[in-house]
Order: sequence, then structure tokens, then C-alpha cells
Amino acid sequence: MAKIYNIIFTVLIICFCIKDSNAKLFGAQSFKLDNGMEVIVIENHKAPIIKHMIWYKAGAVDEKNGKGGTAHLLEHLMFRGTSKVSGKVFDEVLKQNGVINNAFTSYDFTGYHHSADISKLELIMALEADRMENLEISPENFALERDIVYQERKQVVDNNPAAPFSESFRKVLWQEHPYSRSISGTEDEINSLELKDVKDFYEGFYAPNNAILILSGDIDMNTAKILAEKYYGRLKSRPLATKAAFKPLKENLSSKIKMSLPQIKTSRLIKTYIAPSYNTDKEEIYPLAVFSKYVGDGETSELYKELVLKQKLALTISSSYDYATRSYGKFSISALPASGVKLEDLEVAIDKVLQKSVKELNIDKVNKTKDKMLSGLVYLQDNPLEAAGTVGFMSAIGMSVDDIEKHADNLRKVNYQAVKESAQKLLSQTPVVTGILSPKGEK
Amino acid sequence: MARRRRGRTGEGTVKFLTFGLCLAMVVGCCYYIYQYHIRFNPDKILSESILKEKSFASKPIEVISPKNKIKAYLIEDRNVPIISFSFLFKGAGYISDPEKQQGISKVVAAMLTEGTQKLTSQEFKEKLEDKAIGISFSVGLDDFTGAMVTTKEHKEEAYSLLKDTLTEPRFDNEDLQRIKLQIQKSFLLQKEHPKNLLSLAFKEYIYGRHPYGRNPLGKWEDVSLLTPADLQNYMQSHLGKNNFIIGVTGDITPQELGKVLDDIFGQLPSNSAINFVRAPQIDFSLPAYNIEHKTGGQNISRFAAKGVSRNDEDFYPLYVANHIFGGSGLSSRLSQAAREEKGLTYSIYSYLSLADKSPLIQGGFSSTADKYEEVKEIFEEEWEKFGKAGATEEEVENAKQYLLSSYNLRFASVADLAEILLYMQKENLGLDFLQNRNKNIEKITTQEVNEAARKYFVPNGYVSVNIGSFTKE
Repeated sequence: MAKIYNIIFTVLIICFCIKDSNAKLFGAQSFKLDNGMEVIVIENHKAPIIKHMIWYKAGAVDEKNGKGGTAHLLEHLMFRGTSKVSGKVFDEVLKQNGVINNAFTSYDFTGYHHSADISKLELIMALEADRMENLEISPENFALERDIVYQERKQVVDNNPAAPFSESFRKVLWQEHPYSRSISGTEDEINSLELKDVKDFYEGFYAPNNAILILSGDIDMNTAKILAEKYYGRLKSRPLATKAAFKPLKENLSSKIKMSLPQIKTSRLIKTYIAPSYNTDKEEIYPLAVFSKYVGDGETSELYKELVLKQKLALTISSSYDYATRSYGKFSISALPASGVKLEDLEVAIDKVLQKSVKELNIDKVNKTKDKMLSGLVYLQDNPLEAAGTVGFMSAIGMSVDDIEKHADNLRKVNYQAVKESAQKLLSQTPVVTGILSPKGEK
Repeated sequence: MARRRRGRTGEGTVKFLTFGLCLAMVVGCCYYIYQYHIRFNPDKILSESILKEKSFASKPIEVISPKNKIKAYLIEDRNVPIISFSFLFKGAGYISDPEKQQGISKVVAAMLTEGTQKLTSQEFKEKLEDKAIGISFSVGLDDFTGAMVTTKEHKEEAYSLLKDTLTEPRFDNEDLQRIKLQIQKSFLLQKEHPKNLLSLAFKEYIYGRHPYGRNPLGKWEDVSLLTPADLQNYMQSHLGKNNFIIGVTGDITPQELGKVLDDIFGQLPSNSAINFVRAPQIDFSLPAYNIEHKTGGQNISRFAAKGVSRNDEDFYPLYVANHIFGGSGLSSRLSQAAREEKGLTYSIYSYLSLADKSPLIQGGFSSTADKYEEVKEIFEEEWEKFGKAGATEEEVENAKQYLLSSYNLRFASVADLAEILLYMQKENLGLDFLQNRNKNIEKITTQEVNEAARKYFVPNGYVSVNIGSFTKE
């Protein structure tokens, strides 16, 4: 349970060919319950299975200062029982019915998912609706789960020799912004969390009017409506606590962080630009997604061709663009240098390739990149369990179902001029931070 | 009088009975309302649910290609216009890499997406992206595996790319140099995370010099010397029709598949010549091996005990036994004891590993050094207790219910299904496996599970390797 979710959603992950516009991507449909809960249904009748997800539009960014790890600890405690169903019964009943379930906490949201045979759906809905309003947190369970999330942080973060670098990099990049936090909380933060903290978070954010229900699989719209109404419709909407306010970042920050660590055996470089997101500048994200694909996604990209194949300065290099966020997005390039190459030289070379790639952009290159991105969209209709996660993720940061389904159309409309302008703006924009990680004793 | 008294008595009795009856009814109603409307009642929810179980049977058929008699299992699925292949070359995993060419299989797998005689590496990759075709190869302990996924629209292109790379791969020297250097970096990256260091040390400790003890990446000295000719030789000697197995799902007919099999795979060598690897002998009584290493967080522990192969008669009972012991997430014996009740670890688990020549029960946990001893003791106690007393009737029933009810989740994607069809053939499970699997689970008795527990969860019957800080300060 409870892995910390770091999704890198660069465009629609696999590249994908639908020539006609207005064709469906997922075929998602949505409606709203009177209490404000959004419901999204993705019909897929290939097998009698369903994925049920509840996404709360609150995550680590909504924690109070110094209370890092609250959202994540609450996610764990959601498995410890309600006034009606004990944690043990919750787990046993789901297991007896072959339900595979888990949860994740991210900066922007927290999600709970169940995959099961379709005949078990009502059971899942009953349990999930119950813990949306009746969660009980005993001091004993609180103490136990706090110990468990402490061990989780040790395992997932601290066991990783590169973690001190990643955490420092994030702090420099995001400054005072809540994206600078650790989702798990720091060791001190975890140990100082109190029952009241998680309870406040639960009461403030776990309400139907702050939740999205995703039903993906062997279900039709009509049945989905009946059942959503039956189980979630009777829950009362509640006033929500204040969500994170995102203060603007210092515009002129251009910074570099270098770190050498004892267990690190080979150096690497990461360069991250704060970039527009769906929520900060919706118009910009489609041209930038095309640019990211063109310049650094995969082994036919400009960065790979130039720096790995031609100049042989790097052994791997790739870019990613995260635009599905509640606050700013980011555009990152990561590279492993070839042996004997100085990271500073590689950095200079990366900047040159970025500039050159923008300069050499033309209509053909943009169209070719778009074709790659739009090829094979039909794969998205294959796996109902995966579709739930992708659609849920995008809707949890505020994308409408219409925007999600029109993703391909929006990419199709992107023209050469827009890609060029957006890319130029991105690359001249700060904040931008370069991070260099190397083995101890190596310059 | 007597009558009246009797009458009064009668009235009293009636009143009393009526009162009693009413009370009973009220209590009964309250109880009914509590049981069925207030108390959480999973049975009621399920029995009244408008969604019922559906019979769902994906029945594979066997397709044999007309010319070369290449066999495939196929499930036609026209829900989405895509086609998925999952195949392997049996025995061509890294354990069969020649002694002086350790790592060659990994290099070949990487080089098979680096172009063909007709297409350079870049042209090949451009084509995959333009047409949304996925072709990939990888190497495990035992087998060399491959997968292809394509939309129906571009299937012809996909078939010919796959055919060309398997029959006339490019193996350009320049590409080979790059792949080697990338693998060289992987050797370094592999030595960073304590989890990976432990994994390498674990193999070495239990398998010694047997090929199962090898580094999955091979040896850098060997990899660095490989030439394109070596890779060609490897293809000829390892990837033949006689050790080829394939599962196919999606929008393709049996007739079409027959032709496609001949066309793509017909020109593979008829017979591969793979080194025979004997089964390793593991000494499960070896003492625990602790690797002193400064990690950022926890001590990490791994263990292995004797297991059974997929076709062994003990397989199903042991499968259920393991599920109860350490396989079922938070409700397993291990998770309950160390995590849920004590908060000492985030993850503790066991699983059946099914390497062809070394089936094992494996597992592990990780915990901060101050809690490590306690978790270790819990693990030892639970292991011993399970071996002695086995599982309860209820635990076995619950485990079986889980395995039965979650079965359909395996059919979520065509790629998953193609892979199942592949392994059904590799393990000789038969064409009707999908129909019989649940019957096999249903048949398992508590007695069988407990016999398996006694036989395999032997006190001290496991060997463990651990990494972290073990010296007391």
C-alpha cells in the first residue's frame, strides 16, 4: 500500500494512428452528483472487470507548513477502519472477493484504487463511501501507521543513494513553493505529526465535493449512474479547508547544484526549467508537448541524435515535460555523460543543441513529430485498468473530460509557429536549475 | 368464578403472550434492521447487487503454420484493432551465455532494435515510432524473450520489421560500441542501490559458480570484446525454431496467423545448440551472510528456501500456502505480524520463484537497523510456526476465494493475455488451462496446504543474505 506516486506523464506515454479528428481517445463520459462529486465512466467490455478509483483533489501541497507527510499518513490510515468496518474486516472482505487495492499520495492529489471482477463493484463502492465519511483513527493505529510511514520513507527514499541529491535539487528549484516538499515528509516531520493533523486533513478535504470517482471497465453509463447515486449520492457535501496557495516563484533564478555522494558510482546531469502547465497556461502546453517530443523523447530525438550518436558526449539523454499539475509544470532533461566527459561541457553542449533545435525547427519537423504523437492512439482503448489511472490523473489536476478526450485534436491543431515561439520562451525563461551528481572524490 | 378466573388467567396469558410477541417482533425488527441495513453486511450487498458474475472464457486455439509447422496459441480478440505477440527462445537466457562471453545475450537483445540490413538503426526506430509499432527483446535467467505490438492498420509493416530484425539484423559496429558503453554504465549504476548490491551478492552466495549465480549483465571484460560476428553466431546457435514458443492475441484470424508465423519465423535456424546447464545444488543450511554496508536507511534482508516447479503436484498447495504466509499483501501472516501489528517494517513478503532449474520460495524485508533484529525474529517465528501448524481452514478458504475471484483481472490487456498464452506452452499447462485453472484451485484442501507447509517451510530450511549495519554500537 501507499507508494509515493511520481507520475511522469509526458504526453500520452506510448506514442500512438487515428487520422480522423473527433475520434475518441478513451471514450470517457462524465456526470456530477448533487453533492458535487464528479463521476467519470470509461466503458470497456472486453472482460468482466472494473477499476474503481477515488481521487481526492488534495495532496502534499495542501499540508500545513512543517507538517510534511500528513496527506501520506492519512492515506495509510484510510486502511485502518471506520466506525462501521474495522481495518481488518475491510482488508479481509476485499481479499476474500479477489479485489486488488492500493492507494497513492502525490503533490496534487491522493488516490485510492480497486481492481476487481465486475460482480464485486457494489461491495467496493459501499466500503469506499463508508470511509469517505466514517473514518476512525485510534491513537494506537495512528502510532502504528506513523511508524510504518517512517519505515516507508527509509525504504523508498533514504535507501536510495541518490535521494539526498534529488531532495536538495527539488528545494533549490521550487524555493518556497510546496512542490519543494518531500511527499513522505522528512524524518523529523513524520515523527512530529499528530493525530489532529491527519484528522483535520481528512475533515477538510475528504468530501464528495472534493472527489472524483472513476469507473473503468465492464459497465454502462446507466448502471454507473444508478450505483454512484446509490452509494455516493447520499453523502453530504462539506465545506472544504483552504487549499494550497501557489505563490509565484522568483523569476530570475538560474542556479546550479553540485553534489558528490559516497555510494554514487557514476555521474549524471539534470536540468529543469519551470514550465507552463494546464493550470497556468493551457494554450502553451500543446506546443510544448510537441517540442519536448521533438527535442528529447526517445532515441530519434534531436538531443539523442546530436549528443549520443554524433558528438558521443552522452550515453543516454532524454527530456520530459510534466504539464498535468495544479501549479507550475516543468521541463527536464536528464543525461548520463560518456566516460571522461566533463559535466560542465555536457551542459554547454545541451544548451547549444536546444538552441539549434529551435532554430532549425520547420513545418515538416513539427508535422513529423505530431504524426508520431498521434500514431497508435487506439492502444489507449485496450487496458481498462490503465485507462482509469491516466484519465483520473488528468482530471484530478482539473482537466475536463472534454479536454482529455480532445487531447489528440489539440495536438493536431498545433502549428509550427506556436512550437517555435513556445520553445523560445521556455528556454529563455527562468527559474532553471542544473543539477550535477557525481561519485565522491570525482570532480 | 373458576371460569372467569380461568378466563382472566387466559386473558393474562394472551396479553402476556401478545406483549412477548410484540417485544420479540420489535427486537427482531431492530436486529434485522441492524444486521441488514446498519451493520456492514458484505453478503447482502453482493447477493442484492445488480451486477452479477459473468461466465467469461477466453478459449485459446492452437495454430500450426502450414509450411514450417510453427505452433502458436491464439486468442482472437476484436475489441480493439491491435495485435500482440509474446514469444521466447527457451533456454537462451543468460545462464546459457558461453563461459567466455558472459553478457552476450543482453547485447544481442539490445542490438535487435538497432536496425536491419535494409534499415539503419535510426531508420528502424523512426519507423517504429511513425507506425506506433512496439518491438522489444529482453533476457532473463532461463529464456530470451521478445514482444511485438501493432495496430491492425500497420500490421504488415510490423511483421516485416520483426522478420527482418530476426533474420537479417544490422549489427553495425558503431551501434555495438554505443550499446557496450551503455552496458558499462549499467554495471556502475547496478552497484549503487543497496537493494541491487544485495541481489548480486545473494545470487553469488547461494549459487556459487553455477551460472544461476551470474551477474545478469554478464562480465564487462567479456562484453567489451564482443564483435558483430559473435552476435551473428549467437543468433544461429541460440535462437532457433526448435526452442521457439509464441502466444498471440488480438485482431488476427488463425489463417492469417499461420501465414504470418511462416513468414516471420520460418527462416530461423531449425536447431539451436544451447549449452546444457545442470540444475544447481543449493545448500539451504548455509549460515546467514551479513554484508556490512553503510546504507542511507535500512537493513535489507533476502531469503530463499526450496520450492517446486510449475508442474509439480505440490505446486498448487504450496502456491496457496505461500499466499497465506507472505503473498497476500497486508493480510499475509508476515505483514500482519511485523507490519500491521508492530509497525516495524513497510514491506515483508514471500513469493514462489519459478526459475526452470531452481524453483524457490523467496522473500525478504527491510527495516531500520534498530528494528531489524525484531523483524528477523518475527520472520523466524512465523516461518517455524507455519511449518509446524500450517494454516487454518478459514485462511485456506479465504486464500482460495481470493485466487478465484481475482482471476479475471489477468485479462485486462492483449499483451498480458499473449504472455499468458506463451507461458501456458512453456510450462506445458495445456490448451484448456484457462478453463481448468480455477477448478485446480477449488480442489485444494486444507490438508494438502498444510502438508506443503510442513514439507517446504522446514525449520531453518532457508538461507538468507542481508545488507546494512549489523555490528552493535
